[in-house]
Amino acid sequence: MFALIQDASGAVAQTHNEGSNFLHTLLQDLPLPEWVPGWALILGSVAMGVGILVGIVSLIALWSVWMERKVSGHMQCRNGPMYAGGWHGWAQTIADGIKLFQKEDMIPLGADKVLFVLSPGLVLASIFGALAALPLSYDWYFARMDLGIFAILAIGSTTTIGVIMAGWASNSKWSLYGAMREAAQVVAYEIPLGIALMVPLITLGTFSLLDASSLQSGFFGMNWAIFQNPLCLPAFIIFWIAALAETKRAPFDLPEAESELVAGFLTEFSGIRWSFFFMEEYAAMFLMSVVGAVFFFGGFESPVTYGMRGAGLEGSILFSLVCFATLVIKAFIGVFLMMWLRWTLPRVRIDQVMTMGYKYLTPLALICVLGAAIWEAILHVVLN
Amino acid sequence: MDFQAIADHLSVAKVPGLLSLELPRPADKETKDKGRSGLPYVCVDPARIADFLTFCRDDDALGFEVLIDITASDPNAEDENLWILVQLLSVQHRQRLGIKCLLPKSALSMPSSTSVYRAAQWHERECMEMYGVNFEGHPDPRNMLLPDDWPGYPMRKDYEFPKEYHGISCE
Amino acid sequence: MTSPTQKDHKPSIRPADEARVLPSGEREFFMDVATSDLEINMGPQHPATHGVMRVLLRTDGELVTGAQPHLGYLHRCAEKIGENVEWLQYLPYTDRYDYLSAMNNNLSYSLAVEALMPELEIPRRGTLIRMICAELNRIASHLVAFGTYGLDIGAFTPFFYAFREREWIQALFEKICGARLTYSYIRIGGVFNDAPPGWLQEVSDFCDVFEEKWQEYYDLLIENHIFVQRTANVGVISAEMAYDFGLTGPMLRGSGVDFDLRRDMPYMEYGEAHAAGAFNVPLGTGEKGTVGDCWDRTQVRMVEMKECLGIVRWCLEQIEPGPVIGDVPKVIKVPPGEAYVGIENPRGELGHYLHSDGGKVATRCRVRAPSFVNLAVLEDLMPGTLLADSVAIIGSTDIVIGETDR
Repeated sequence: MFALIQDASGAVAQTHNEGSNFLHTLLQDLPLPEWVPGWALILGSVAMGVGILVGIVSLIALWSVWMERKVSGHMQCRNGPMYAGGWHGWAQTIADGIKLFQKEDMIPLGADKVLFVLSPGLVLASIFGALAALPLSYDWYFARMDLGIFAILAIGSTTTIGVIMAGWASNSKWSLYGAMREAAQVVAYEIPLGIALMVPLITLGTFSLLDASSLQSGFFGMNWAIFQNPLCLPAFIIFWIAALAETKRAPFDLPEAESELVAGFLTEFSGIRWSFFFMEEYAAMFLMSVVGAVFFFGGFESPVTYGMRGAGLEGSILFSLVCFATLVIKAFIGVFLMMWLRWTLPRVRIDQVMTMGYKYLTPLALICVLGAAIWEAILHVVLN
Repeated sequence: MDFQAIADHLSVAKVPGLLSLELPRPADKETKDKGRSGLPYVCVDPARIADFLTFCRDDDALGFEVLIDITASDPNAEDENLWILVQLLSVQHRQRLGIKCLLPKSALSMPSSTSVYRAAQWHERECMEMYGVNFEGHPDPRNMLLPDDWPGYPMRKDYEFPKEYHGISCE
Repeated sequence: MTSPTQKDHKPSIRPADEARVLPSGEREFFMDVATSDLEINMGPQHPATHGVMRVLLRTDGELVTGAQPHLGYLHRCAEKIGENVEWLQYLPYTDRYDYLSAMNNNLSYSLAVEALMPELEIPRRGTLIRMICAELNRIASHLVAFGTYGLDIGAFTPFFYAFREREWIQALFEKICGARLTYSYIRIGGVFNDAPPGWLQEVSDFCDVFEEKWQEYYDLLIENHIFVQRTANVGVISAEMAYDFGLTGPMLRGSGVDFDLRRDMPYMEYGEAHAAGAFNVPLGTGEKGTVGDCWDRTQVRMVEMKECLGIVRWCLEQIEPGPVIGDVPKVIKVPPGEAYVGIENPRGELGHYLHSDGGKVATRCRVRAPSFVNLAVLEDLMPGTLLADSVAIIGSTDIVIGETDR
C-alpha cells in the first residue's frame, strides 16, 4: 500500500535519535553538570510531558465548555455567558471550575467507595493516555509511535470501564441504567469506528499520525485523504457517527440522558468528580476530531504549510507552530460540528442505537473497506 | 336528544334502577320553594348502577361511550344521604347525561362501575378516600391523593381536621 | 450482590467439587445468580414527569413490565376550599389547577356558575374577549407541551423557541390583566376589565408572526426523523380504549375520534365561529405509524395551535366596543341548583360541578380534571415498552400535576 502522490520535498520529520522526543532533546541540550544520570533526564522529560498534557487537557476543557455554552446559547436565540470576565463571559469556565473545586465532597451512603473515587480518575487517565499518543506538530510529540492510531483507539476505549464503574459504584438504580447503556452503546460502536478508520489507513498506508499527515501534503495543500479515495467520504460519515456514539454526544447521549435518567451514570458525582467526567468528555471530543482531521482532512497540512514547504521553511519553529495551529483549527471545527448536532437533534432510543450500530453501520463500514481496497488495487496494480 | 327525550327513552326501555327525574323549577313564593336552577338529573337506585350504566353505554339511541365523572357530594351534615353523581358523554350523538344516586350514610356501599367503564376506577378511588363510600368489587381500592394512613374522610361536611399527623402539627 | 472490592463479598459460583455429574457424563455447575425485575422509582423529583408525580416502575433491564402512578404530592384540597370561600373568591383557586391554561380554568368555572344564574346576561364583547384569551392560552399551553416534549425526547432547542413565543403571549396577558400565569381574569359575568388600547392590534400582529414560526417548529421537531422514530408506533391508544378510559381532548382526537366540544357542543360563540369556517378540528390519522400513537397526539396539538389563530382572527373581526361584564352584584348569591359544565381545555374536558343552596358559598365544587383522567391510561400503556418510551408516553399525555391532584 503506497501513497498516491509523493510530496515534492518528500521527507518526513526526523529527530536527533530514535526513541527520544523534543522534550528529552531539550533537556539533553541543556548545559547540565556531569553527575546528572541519564535516567533523570528521561524522568524530567516525562514530567514535563505530563505537565504539558495536563495543561492541554485543561485548556481544551476550558475553551470547549465556553464554546459549548456560547454555541448552544446562540442556537437557542439567547446569549450564553456574558458577565464573567467582561467580554462575552470568557472567564465563565474558570469561575465554574473554582466553584466546583470548593464544593463539598459527597459520597453516597452505600456506594462502593473505592470504585466511586477511582472512576473519574480512570476515565480521565485513559483520555490522558490517548492524548499522549497525539503529536502536536511534526517535531513536537511525546513519543514517536508507528502505531499511533492503534494506541489512541486502544487506550481511549478504557474510558468505558471507568463509566461502568461510576454507574455501578453510585449505588443508584438510575446510574446503573446509564452504565449499562454506556456499555452496550460503546461496544457496539467501537466496531464501525475501527473499521471505518481502516479506509484511510488503506489509502495512506500507515498507522502513524505523523506519517499519515505528511503523506497528505502537496497539491496546494489539498491532497487530503478524503479526496484520494472515493470510499473515504462514506467512511468519514460512518466514522463521525461512531465518534459521536463513542463520546456519548447527542444524538447518542443515552448514558447521561438528562430527561430520562436525571443524569445517568453521573447522577451521584458532584464537584471535582463531575468536572473530571466533563473534562474527559470534551477531551474525547477533541481527540475524535483530531483523529478525523488527521486521517481524513490532512492533519497538519494546509495551503499555508504547502507554501511554507515550498519556501523552504520546513523544520523551523514557525512551521511547527503553523502545523499545530492548523490541527487545532481543524479539530475545533469538528468539535463545533459535534456541538451543532447536539443542540439540533433529539436523542435516539437504545435499541435503535444498537440496531443502527450492528445492522447498518458495521456492514456499511466493511463494504467501504472492501471498496477502498479494490480501488487501491486497481490504481496501483492494474494501472501501474 | 335533549334531556326529556333521553329520560323518556330510559323509562320506555324500563332500564333497571331508574327512579325519578330532578328537573329545574322556578322559585315559588307561596310554597317558600327556593326553586332549582341548573341542569336536570336522572335519579338512579345505587344498587343497580352498573346495569344502568351498561344500558346507557350499549344502547344505540343513547350511546354514552365516555364516562366523564363519578363523584360524591355531601349536601349538609344533617342530611342522611350522600349523593353520588355520574356524568356521561355521548360522542356520536353529542349529548350529556347527569345521573344522581342517593346513598344513605349509614349504609355507604354500592357496586363499582369499573366493569362498565375503565375510567371509573380512578374516580371511585377518589370517592372512596374522600367520602368513605365503599365500591364493591373495585379492583384497586388504595388511596389516591391522600396518604395511605390518613384518618377520616375529608370531604364530608362533619369532618374534623386532625391535630397532628405522624408527629407533624396540623395547626 | 456485593462487588468484589467489598469486604463481605462472597463469590456466587459454588466450588467444582460440589458439582453434580449428569447422566450424559457432563458436570453441572451451579450459579446462584438470581435475576429479578428491578423496581425503580420515577419521581417525585424527575425531569420528565411534568411535575411531582411518582411512577413506580418494574423493569427487566430496559423493558418496563409494570407501571403504577402515585399521585397526591400536589394535592391542595381545592374542592374542600370551594366549600369554604365565596363564589368569586374561589376564582384564583381555579387558576392554579392547570396553571398552564389558567384562562380556560377560569372560563370553565365561570360558565358553570353562570349556568346556575340564567338571568345574568354576558355582553358580547366580554364573550369575544373571553374567546380570544382562551385560545391564546391554548396556544401557550400547547407551546409548553411541544417544548417540554422535545426536552423529554432529547431535543433541547425547540424548548427555547417555544418559550420565546409564549413570552409574547404572556406579555399580552400581562397588559390585559396584570398577571403572567394565574390570571383570574375571566370572571362570573364576563371579564374583569376591558382590553387596553392597542391590545387587539397586538394580538393580530402576534397571529401573523406566529403562523410563520409554527412552520419552523413543525419542521424542526415534529418532522425530524429521530423524533418520528421515537414517537411513532409508541403508546398506541385505540378509539375503544380511549372511550373506555374516558379520555378527551387531544388524547381522544389523536386516536382518530372526531370530537371537539367547541365545535360539537358549542359554548359561547364557538358554534358561530365554526360555521363561519374559522377553525377545523385536526385528527390523528396514523400518518407516521399507527393511529393513536404519540406522534399523532403531538401532531394534533401542533395543528390545533394553528387552528386557534383562526378563532382569534374571527373574534378580532367580530369585536365591537361595549361593556365587558354583566350586571354582577358585589357579593354573588347564586340561586339554588346544581350544574355541570364541561369545556375544551387544552388537555381535554375540564368540567365543574357546582351545587348551590342559595348562599354565598358553594355546597359542592367538584373539578373534573382532564389530566387526572388521562393519566390512568399509563397503567395499561407502559408495560411492554422500553424505558425511553415510558418518558415519551408520559410526555404525550401532556399532564399537569396541578390538575391531576388539585
